[in-house]
This record gives sequence, C-alpha cells and structure tokens, in this order.
Amino acid sequence: MEFEGCNCFRQRLVLSTLSGKRVKIRNIRSKDDNPGLRDFEASFIRLLDKVTNGTRIEINQTGTVLFYQPGLLYGGSVEHECNVQRSIGYYLEALLMLAPFMKTPLRAVLKGVTNDPTDPSVSVLKRGMAPAGGGEVLFTCPVRRSMKPVHLTEPGKIKRIRGTAFSVRVSPQMANRIVDSARSILNKFIPDIYIYTDHMKGASSGKSPGFGLTLVAETVNGTFLGAEVVSTPQGQGDPVLPEDLGRNCAKLLLEEVYRGGCVDSTNQSLSLLYMTLGQQDVSKTLLGPLSPYTVEFLRHIRDFFQIMFKIEQQKPGEDEQKGGEKVLMTCVGAGYSNINKTIK
Amino acid sequence: MEKKEQKRHQHKHSGPKADKKNRKKEQGTEPERDERKRNPRAFSVQSAVRMAKTFHRTQDIKTKKHHIPLVDRTPLEPPPVVVVVMGPPKVGKSTLIRCLIKNYTRQKLSDICGPVTIVSGKKRRLTFIECNNDINSMIDLAKVADLVLMLIDASFGFEMETFEFLNICQVHGFPRVMGVLTHLDTFKNNKTLSKTKKRLKHRFWTEVYQGAKLFYLSGMVYGEYQTQEVKNLGRFISVMKFRPLVWRTSHPYVVADRMEDLTDPEDIRLNPKCDRTVSLYGYLRGTFLKNKCQVHIPGVGDFSVADVSFLPDPCPLPEVIKKRALNVKERLLYAPMAGVGGLVYDKDAVYIDMPSGHGSQQQEEVRPTTELVQSLIGTQATLDAKMAASKVSLFTGTAALTPEEVQENEKQNPMESREWDERAQRERRRAVFADEDDDDDDDDDGDGEQESDEEEDEEEDDEEDEDEEGVTTLKKHDKTAAETAAPPVKKQKCEVPMEMPAFADSDDELEKSEEDESEEDESEEEEENEENEEMEEGEPAKKSSGPDSGLCSEDDDEDEEEDSDTDEDGDGTVKSKMSSKHPEEENIDTDDAEMGYETAGALRWKEDLAQKATEAYLRHQLAAPNLRKLVYGTVAEKEEDDSNDEEELGGLFKVNRPEKSKKVRADAMDCSRFQPDNSHDWDQEEMLASIRDCFVTGKWEEDKDAATLLKEDEELYGDFEDLETGQVHKAKTGNKDQAEGGNDDEINGDDDDDEEEEAPQVKLDDDEVQKNKRLEKKRRLKERFDAQYDDGDATYFDDLKEEMQKQAELNRQEFEDVDDEIRVQYEGFRPGMYVRVEIPALPCEFVTNFDPHYPIILGGLGPSEGNVGYLQMRLKKHRWHNRILKTRDPLILSLGWRRFQTIPLYYIEDHNGRHRLLKYTPEHMHCGATIWGPITPQGTGFLAVQTVGGIKASFRIAATGVVLDLDKSVTIVKKLKLIGYPYKIFKNTSFIQGMFNTVLEVAKFEGASIRTVSGIKGQIKKALRTPPGAFRATFEDRLLMSDIVFLRSWYPASVPQLYNPVTSLLMPVGQKETWAGMRTLGQLKHDLGIRNKPNQDSLYKPVVRQVRHFNPLHIPKELQKALPFKNKPKQMQAKGKTPRDLQRPAVVREPHEKKVAALLDALSSVYAYKNKKARAEQHAKHKEFLKQKEKQEAERQKRMKEERKKTYRAMGQKEKKKLKSSLKGASKDN
Repeated sequence: MEFEGCNCFRQRLVLSTLSGKRVKIRNIRSKDDNPGLRDFEASFIRLLDKVTNGTRIEINQTGTVLFYQPGLLYGGSVEHECNVQRSIGYYLEALLMLAPFMKTPLRAVLKGVTNDPTDPSVSVLKRGMAPAGGGEVLFTCPVRRSMKPVHLTEPGKIKRIRGTAFSVRVSPQMANRIVDSARSILNKFIPDIYIYTDHMKGASSGKSPGFGLTLVAETVNGTFLGAEVVSTPQGQGDPVLPEDLGRNCAKLLLEEVYRGGCVDSTNQSLSLLYMTLGQQDVSKTLLGPLSPYTVEFLRHIRDFFQIMFKIEQQKPGEDEQKGGEKVLMTCVGAGYSNINKTIK
Repeated sequence: MEKKEQKRHQHKHSGPKADKKNRKKEQGTEPERDERKRNPRAFSVQSAVRMAKTFHRTQDIKTKKHHIPLVDRTPLEPPPVVVVVMGPPKVGKSTLIRCLIKNYTRQKLSDICGPVTIVSGKKRRLTFIECNNDINSMIDLAKVADLVLMLIDASFGFEMETFEFLNICQVHGFPRVMGVLTHLDTFKNNKTLSKTKKRLKHRFWTEVYQGAKLFYLSGMVYGEYQTQEVKNLGRFISVMKFRPLVWRTSHPYVVADRMEDLTDPEDIRLNPKCDRTVSLYGYLRGTFLKNKCQVHIPGVGDFSVADVSFLPDPCPLPEVIKKRALNVKERLLYAPMAGVGGLVYDKDAVYIDMPSGHGSQQQEEVRPTTELVQSLIGTQATLDAKMAASKVSLFTGTAALTPEEVQENEKQNPMESREWDERAQRERRRAVFADEDDDDDDDDDGDGEQESDEEEDEEEDDEEDEDEEGVTTLKKHDKTAAETAAPPVKKQKCEVPMEMPAFADSDDELEKSEEDESEEDESEEEEENEENEEMEEGEPAKKSSGPDSGLCSEDDDEDEEEDSDTDEDGDGTVKSKMSSKHPEEENIDTDDAEMGYETAGALRWKEDLAQKATEAYLRHQLAAPNLRKLVYGTVAEKEEDDSNDEEELGGLFKVNRPEKSKKVRADAMDCSRFQPDNSHDWDQEEMLASIRDCFVTGKWEEDKDAATLLKEDEELYGDFEDLETGQVHKAKTGNKDQAEGGNDDEINGDDDDDEEEEAPQVKLDDDEVQKNKRLEKKRRLKERFDAQYDDGDATYFDDLKEEMQKQAELNRQEFEDVDDEIRVQYEGFRPGMYVRVEIPALPCEFVTNFDPHYPIILGGLGPSEGNVGYLQMRLKKHRWHNRILKTRDPLILSLGWRRFQTIPLYYIEDHNGRHRLLKYTPEHMHCGATIWGPITPQGTGFLAVQTVGGIKASFRIAATGVVLDLDKSVTIVKKLKLIGYPYKIFKNTSFIQGMFNTVLEVAKFEGASIRTVSGIKGQIKKALRTPPGAFRATFEDRLLMSDIVFLRSWYPASVPQLYNPVTSLLMPVGQKETWAGMRTLGQLKHDLGIRNKPNQDSLYKPVVRQVRHFNPLHIPKELQKALPFKNKPKQMQAKGKTPRDLQRPAVVREPHEKKVAALLDALSSVYAYKNKKARAEQHAKHKEFLKQKEKQEAERQKRMKEERKKTYRAMGQKEKKKLKSSLKGASKDN
C-alpha cells in the first residue's frame, strides 16, 4: 500500500504491523525546508523495530520515502529512549494498540518526556517535562489470542472525578493553586472530587520545570473520560498561570463530558481498533463526535482490513441535558487472531 | 463333605427389639422410604477426604462434558451442502451421483462434470462433486467437503485411496463420512457376502468411528442402483447434521461452479499467452468475504480479488415453506459446467448456456478461410503502427511520403489512402481496421462499446463470407463472439452500481443541487481561485486552518473529507472542477445548522424546484449516512477521472499550484488530541446546564430514577410483618388495578396506568388486552422466579453460554433490515450468497487447460496469511509410510488452503530447550519441523506427501502434523565436534593444536570445556602464539600423546527458502496429475545414475587382532624387600650347568639284574591284571545286589500299602459303626 506525507504516520505503521501488509510512504515533508523524517519519527520506527522481529525498513537518503515491511510482533522486555520532541504518550499510544497481539507479554520501559502540551500524558515512574525530558514509564501488557466483541453503549452517569495536579522543579504551591481553580468549576456539578497534588523532587522530577493537571471522570458504568492540560515548555511561548491552567483543564473535562460517549476523544481510535480486531461478531460503541484523528483512523482501517463501520448519529432528546450529539459505531470484527502467540 | 447348614434367623417375638418393630409397623412404611433418615449412621460422613475426592470426581466428570461455547454464526440461509463422492476408479461414483440426482430431481444427467447443485428439500440444497483419483483433487475436496460418500468396491475390498482420503480428512478437520459398498452383486455365495460385509464394516469403523454409517448398494438394475436403496441413502443425506470445523468457520471459500474468461479478446489475439481476467461463480461458504481480499486457488496460486458481487440465487430454496413435499418446479438443478442450468442471470445480463465446450477452444477452429482475413487476424501490430512505419510514394521517382506528412487530411478516413485495399475488393473490411485505429486511440479509456462495435464488425464480416462458409459455422462464430464479447461489456456496465453506495450517490447529487440553490456564485468564484479566496475569506480560512474550527465534529470531518479528496489526487497539481466543488458542497450540506454560513442569495434556485423538493425530502431521510459519507468519502471513481484530466496544461507546462491545505494535511502533526470547540463557552450557565444530566447529581431516566426504583421495591417487597411487634405493613396499592386481583406484581406502575387508560378506548380488544396482561404477568412472575431460583445453579459455563447466545442474536439482528447492497459493505458478503468473483492476472494456462472435472476452490485468506515466513510445526511420519523422511528433502505440504513444495528441517527439542537438527525423522515419534512457507494460524493441521505425480509409494501420505509457531528467530543447531591433538604434555596441562586456525578463534572459545575420547575433561585456557590456533588447556588428568581432544559445539542451520506452490491446475488436460516439483536428492541421483562413493573409512574390513605382548612385571627392590616371603617373587635363577662332579653317573645293569627286573615287571603286570579283573567282578556283583535290594524294597512297599489299606478300612468301618451306634443312641435319646 502506498501513502503520501507523514500525516497519520503511527496509524499507518501500526495497522501495517497488525495486518501484515507492507507500506510505502512517499513525499514525507518533501516540500519542507527540512525534508524527511523527524527525529521523533525515526525514534518511533526504532521502537517498532525493537518490539518486532524480522521487520524490514528502508528509508531513502533524504528520508522522504519510507518502506516498511512488518515482521512478527515479539514483545518481551524492551527499553527505549524516546525522542524528546514528542512525549512518551506518542509512543505509548501505538504500543497500546500493538501490545495485546505480541508473542510474549510486553514489558516496556520508555524514557523521555512524560508530559507535554500536544500528546497525552502518562502516569509515571519519573516525571520529565518538555523540552529536556528525563522521565520514565513502565508499561506492561499481557497477550491475548483473540479479542472479545466490545459492547459499550451505555456511558452511564458520572459519579466521581479524580485528578492529579503535578509540579516539577517549580514551587509545590503551584499544584495547590491548580487544584483550587479546577475545583471551583467542577464543584458546581458533583461533590465527589479529589485531586491529588503530586510534587516530585530530585531525580524523579526530570530535567525541566513545569506543571499540569490531569482529570478523570468516572461513570457508574465504569467508563472513564479524561482531560489534561500541561504548562507550556520552558522558553517556548507565553508562560501560563496555574489558575488559568486549572480552569482550562476543568473546562476541557466539561467539553469531554459534553461530547460524551463511552470513550473519550483521545482513545476513540484505540477502542475502534479493538472492535475491528475482534472475532467475527458485532461490536458496538457509543462515541462522542469523531475527532479528525479518528476519522483518519477509520479510513485507514478500511484500507487495511476492509472493514467499514456503521455510523449512526444519536441526537440528544429535547428535554435531556446530556451534551451534544453522540455517534454509535457498529462493526463486524475481522476475525483477527494473534498469530504471534505460541501454542504448546 | 457336606455343607454345614447355617442356623436360621429367629425372629424375636418379644423384648425391646420386637416392640420397636411392632411400633414401626403400626406407624406405616414412612421411614423405609427415606433410608437416610432411618439409618443416619450409614450415610454419615465416614471420611472427609474421601467425600471431597468423590465430590471432585463427579465435578470433574461433569465439567469434562462441556465444550467451549462458541457463538453460533450459521447463516439463516445456508449454502448448499457439499457432498463429495470419492472412491477409487471404476467403483461407481458417477452412477451413484446420477442416481441420487435422479432421486431428488427426476432429471437425468449424462455427464457429471463439475459441481452439480440441486434442491433436495424444503430447507436443504446439495452440491455433488465427484472426486477423481488424483491426490490433488482429494486434498482440495477434503478441505471443502461437508459430507463424504466413500465408495468401496466390496468385491475387491479397501483400496489405498480410501485410507489416504480418510487421513487427509482427519488432518483438515473431519467432515461427515458415509461409506457405501458397491459391487455386492458379484458375490454368489451368501455367506461370503455377509462375512465380507462384516469385515469391511469393522475395518471402516476403526478408521472413522465405532458405528459409522455404511451403506450397501446391492446390485444394478439397468445400469442404475436400486431405487429403494438410493432413496434410503438420499434420506440419510437429507437429515444429516454437520459440525462446524475451525478452519472453515474462520475462512471464506467458494467452490466455483462456473468460470468465465473476461479477458479482452484483442489482448488474447495479440498475445495468446497474456494473463487472463476470469470471473468465477459459486456459493460463498465459511464466513464473510470482504471485497478486495486475497484468495488462494489451490493448484493455481495466490491472487487478489478485483471485484466481488452477489447475484440472484440460481438454485433458490422455495420461498414459502409449505407442509407438502417439493413440487417439480421447485426441484431445481444447477450445473453450469455440465451444461445444465439453462438460464443464467449475471449482474445485468442473461446468459443462455448451450451445452458445448469453451469459447476459446472453438475460436481456433472457426477461423475465416480467406487468407486475407486470416492474415489480418494474424497481424500482431495494429495498422496504425504499421502505417507509421510504412512509406508511400505518390509518383515514381519522388521521395516517399511519411505518415506524418499525410496525417492531417487522412486522419479521419485512413482507408481511402490505401491502395491495396482497393485491390482487395473488400471495402467494408476496412471498417475493422478503422475501428481498431479508434480503439488504439481510446485505449486508455478502455471503453466497452468499442469492443462491441468490433464484434459487430466481425459479424458483418461473416455475413459477407457466407457464400464461402457454411451456415453452421457462422452461427457458431456468432455464438462465440457473443460469448467472448458479452462479459467485458457487462463489466463496464456494472462498475457504476457496484462501487458507489446508492445513498452516497444520491447525496452527492443532492448536495450539488443544494449548492446550486444557495451558493452558486460563491462556488463559482472558488473555482477560479480557490485557495486564495480561502485564505482571504473568514469562514473558509478557518476551515482550512485545521481541526480547531467550527462545530466540533462535522466541520472537522469535512476538512478531512477535503483532504482525502486531495490526497487521492496524487501529484498535487490542478484540482479539477469536480473535486474543488466537492468539499464546498458538503460544507453547505451539513452546516445548515450552523449559523452565519448561508450568506449569498441564489439566482438559479428556481430551475427545477419540484425535483429539489423531493431531494430535500430524501436528504432529511438520509441524514445518517451523511456522517458515513464524511468518513468514507463517496467513491474513488470520480476522483480518478479528475486526476486523468489534470495532465498537462498547454501541452508543455504543468500547472503547479502550491495547494496549501493539502500539503499541510499530508505532513500534518500526528496527534490524537481533539481540540475543544471554540464556540462552547463554559463560563455561561446554559452550557453548564446542557451537561447537567451527565452527572449522578442530575436528572435520571424514568426507569432508573431512584424514586421509581424505590417505589417498585416497595411494591415487590412491600408486604412484611414486623415480627417483634407483630405489626403488618401493607404495600400501598394506590395505583393498582383491582380487577387483576390478588397481589399484583406489575413492575412498572406507569405501564399499568397506560393500559388502563387504553382499555376503555378500545373496547373491541378488551379480551385480548386482558389476555396479554395475564401473559405479561405470568412472564414477569416466571422471570422473577427464575431469577430467584436459577441464580444459585448458574455457573460460569451457563453465563458464558448465555453471553454467546446474546451475541449470536445481536449478530443476526444488527444488519437484518439493511439493504443487501449496503449490508455487504458493512459485513462483507454473507455465506450462502451466490457470488461472482473477478480475478485479474490469472495465468493463461488456467483458461486454456481448464478441465471442469477438477475442482476450483477459492479459499479466502485472513490478514497476513498472504505472507510467507518461517513456520515451526510438530510433525510425525505416518506410520503407514514405509520410509523415514530426510532433512532437506523437498516435501509437498497441504496446509490451510494451499498445496506447496518446501524444504523442511527436522529437529528435536533437547531438555535445555535447544533445537537439535535431525538428519531423519524419528520412526515412531513426533519431531519438530521448520519450513519456509505461507503464514498460517497456529493450530492448523497439515499433511505431507513426497510427490503428487503418479503413485510411487504404497501409502502416499508421508507425514502429518500441526503448526505450532510462526517465529523468524527460532534457531536449529547441529552438533559440531572440533578435534585437536596434544603436542606437548606437562602434568595436567597440555598444548593442543589442530583445533583452530587463528588466535582469534581460540579467543572466542576461551573457557570452553573440552574432553578427550578417553573421557578426561578439561578446559581451554589461553591461545598460544605459535603455531596459530594452538592453545593451552588444562585437564583433570595427564594426557597421553595418543589422546584425541575434542570440543563439542553447536552450529546454527539455516532453513532454505523454498516455497513452490503446486500448480497442478495449470497442467494440460489429462496431465494434471503429473506435476513434479523439485526432486529429492535420492530421486536426482537415481535419475542421473549417480552412485554415492562411500567413504573409505566407513567400509567394513576384516578385523585383524594384534597379538599383545605384555612386559614382565617389575617390582622395585624396596618393595620386594618389604613384601612378606610368601609374596616375594621367587627368583629362581636359571640353573647353570651342573658341574661334572655333581652329575650322577648312568646305571648299567648286570645281565642277572636285568633278568630279575624283567621278571618283577612281568609279575607286577600280572598282579595288576588280576586286581583289575577282581574289581570288575566285584562291581558286577554289587550291581546285582542293588537290583535285588530294590526289588525287595518295592515288594515291601506294596505290602505295606496293602496293609495300611486294610487297617484304614478297618478303622473306617469301625468309625462308621461307631457313628451308627451313636446315631442310634441319639435317636434312642430322642
């Protein structure tokens, strides 16, 4: 399969690895002043090479053409130094998609930037803010032979909100200020809010200063919606006030709640992937409005697995006050089974 | 002796026991019923451990009976059951099929050719396939058969083919097997017949399972089997149930029953060996088939499907199921390869199949006889090309004109310029070439119409030739022309409905009209300078800026849409009108909810108002697919057209517009974050209120509200009595219907009220309402009861089963009401559908060597099953195959759908997990094998044969096994012994040479353990400088110079990458079973007459033993001294010569002395003789004496016995007398 440009780079490589189809991506930033693959993408490819066995990767001299022939997902113990241009979330999102289909259970230690404004954050062993990084994450995942069909149609009501306000290499007071401001908004809805303050010191605080807030809303049916905001990296852009950050994050969570669905907007694609790779049964998931990333992902799923989703819009009722439109995604799984796992 | 009589039980008539019994009798037999109660001690727990054991055992037995519950995925309308009729040649396969078909459909089929599908009952269809005696066919059909009718010639007995087929079946999942014994009429003797039957039956049972069904077809009547027996067999087939097999339920497959060659006839004419496009037809089985998936055709190879479409069922089941049997109309028969099936409906054409061979074969026969035409047809290059090369001189002596010079005026009408055409007297003939010319011009368009034109022309030609040719040939030609021409035309036509989803199309048009209405001028402007405007204008700029704009979902999606359009444009040059309009249209369409976009007024909105109104209506109805369209786009087709347009502008220059949005998109940031919508201001109260209900603090739904639930609970469990106070609480029955009576259990009070209100309105249905209500009530009661009492028993297994049941239900219902066209896009093609699969780039031999007697199977491949890689499998040589298999000898495997030749390496796993290479497979043991082959899921079975051509082995199946793992990094190692010799020996240290060549090599093995042949262990210590490769090693003992030192190491063996699919279907007709791939080493040597030169050292030579010389034992002097005298070596020195004085003189006797001595000698010899004689005599006497004594003894014994007998008798009599007297005495006593 051939693609152009470096958009959806991860999706393409991940789906290629899962489906076993080889991929050629051309014209990667070919018109750019700095053409070719960036360091973080190269680092991502290296990570893929570490978790697979027999992968063939060819990159031309300028780095504008990439040929990727996937091997078998091997797993095992992996340690990877992630590039600091993107946070560990960037790498981890892809690993999440691959991890259940490995030969041996994955145990990955990723080092680099744990929190930055573009990518989702991760809970950590050591924190490391952009731009210098220095954080560390341990990710383990068991392997599965096949996936069960997914049925997530009832999000349920939100019963509690939890969160973590973190600060590294700044005053510990920052975290408290974030918590206060976030609570001021969320308290209007629900009293069960608990936001931890997490101030890390010394070696576990990474190399750069910064602070941020992660909020998670849990519903009675056990689904989670998350939101997070991180301060701008040191020396890049305007500095943010912790109060503003807290408020923004709370609003972001409200936005997530408004969008609704059983999966928050960041993880839509992951849930859709697991639906696709299920057995040949009908899976259903209720999502909020599809994010552009998810839309791209749906198209790629069609290209790689020939699976189309039935997309039904659910308009909110007249007197209901449950946020915006929802989308019910239905598909028949591809009957995918983990061909990497050994049987004895 | 007599048996002693036992004392009988005496019932007690009095005492406590008797009293107890009497009491019991009076009370009745109640306690006897419950033994446990009556005798609790007997049933008490004797041993807790034992009890636990028995409990565990029963539970184990119970649980072992369970199978893992699977989701039931059988389609509602299943495909026909594949019945494979198998057996060695001349056993009556075709006759049986003919008889069965006649039995079911009352039709006679003369030639069984390819699959024959019939409707056998109200709910069942059957496809009969005959399996010919070729191991390729046997393997392929075993993979698709649902039921195997295994014919056995009873007069001959079992043949190897039968067993081979059974083994093939076993490997690929066992389908149902029924044996059929034929040729039973050859037995004259009834006894031998029954004996044979029994023998065959039992042998069959051991192969299949105990009690497997075996049919007897006793004899033939007029070349057919007896009707009653066939009917019975048919009944058994009709009621047979099938189990799902793992491989088949996870892979789609089609047993093709029709084949059409769709290749452009022109291509075939130019190059008869060109790759063919072929469409194959058949029922889809197994599971869902996705469009554009990969398939494997066993015997041909891997192909990707170009197009799949479903056709109306050619052999449908009766629509209405009535109680009666099928009528004649409903008993359908469909066998296109055998020439039955009359009318065939394709996508949009109707075929009338005439029983005849294939078009391509006939085409060669029916050539026009005129040489000119033949020469024309024979031309490879088109006239255009020829013309380009040719030159014409108008006047003699002038320079020849090149075609370029005459081009302007002759382009339109080339035939007039040609003089030789005139001479041929065949003006009309030229039209062909004119058309060909045209054809060449529009080659890229690939228009179907041209081809049809061409065909017409050909027909016209024939009409002209009529005087020369017979009428029959013309007809034939017409037919072939129609046959060859029709498919491409058809193909062209159907592309449009296939690739475009119906709704998407209509939507597109709708949007266009919509756009016309509102945004005519704007869009026109945009056509002219799109991106500039986009940058300038507020809204569009916002759109292009990325996902942070507009209402959350739709706007962004449109952006995506736009991008996808442009992505597929390819080079990023000119955007054509269509594609530039496209996104705009969508914007407008979806954004009517959005404010501030409907700006410009419309001018042409009045044009077709009515149509627009209907379209608008439609649009409202089709709101849902809109989103789908946003995601998946409409169709690729339009964009492709556009990309064709954007070739070159003004001939030379390419217009290279920067196209900002696209470029940005193609290299955009790869981030899964979804930026929030700017329009949502979370400081405002309304916004906050809009999500109020998402929290537990908000309002709940009716059925989940705490208040309602509480009320329900009260209704359910309302009545209770406070036991302490004795107070009785009654549930409030305010809203309860008294008419229902008793304790109403309605769960939903509101429902109840509604029903009450409705009841008076519809008086007519009053009874019904009441009835329904009662039913409802009953159901609820039952539900509650079930919930209460079943929950205790519900195990994990039950839950799992229920879950599967629910899933199956959901699978069935989800797409039930969707139109088939759309459903196919979501699910793929369902099993049971009759599909047409178009496959491009098939080798031409597939068509030219097509033989309908060989099955064509399209096996669908799962994701990544099309790849080739290393496979690890467990393998066992078949116990009936009479030779073991050699590593690196090519072997033909049947794995998944495929048959392929590969080179396996056999290995065995050592205790430490090392995979040690084996030279040969073990005789009666499993071993591992690694091959380079197609990726197949683990757990798939396979079988191996050494050749598929001919029958060389007595039992062809060489090995069977299962795939264990797909790993590229499994290493197989073989043992390597490095040998060295000591050249210098110190105490325990030696210098060894000859093992390595360089210092570096030694360095790699430092610390490695080594050993001598005599068993002395040691270790490599350090390399020596000279000689290179020598090293110092220490041993546990001192070596000898004659010792050989070796190092045991492991050397990885690489697996040869041979994957050679068996292409037996491509072989010429009649030679399909002669496929021979790579030969084994042994075969090669045999064929080339190479004999192995044996290693001289390995030859056996006569054993010559050297006589061993032992050195005398030497004991040191010190030791000798210390030894006791006994053990001291006695040093007898060799006697020297005795001195003369010590030598004794010889005695010389006097004559008298001599005489005396002689006499004494004589006397002594006489004495000795006498003595000897006397002893012999004595001995004889003694013998006599012993004999005598024995005799006497025997006599004595006899006498004694007699005496003893006498005394015993006397004693016995005495005893008897005594007894008698005592009895008498006793009687007297009594």
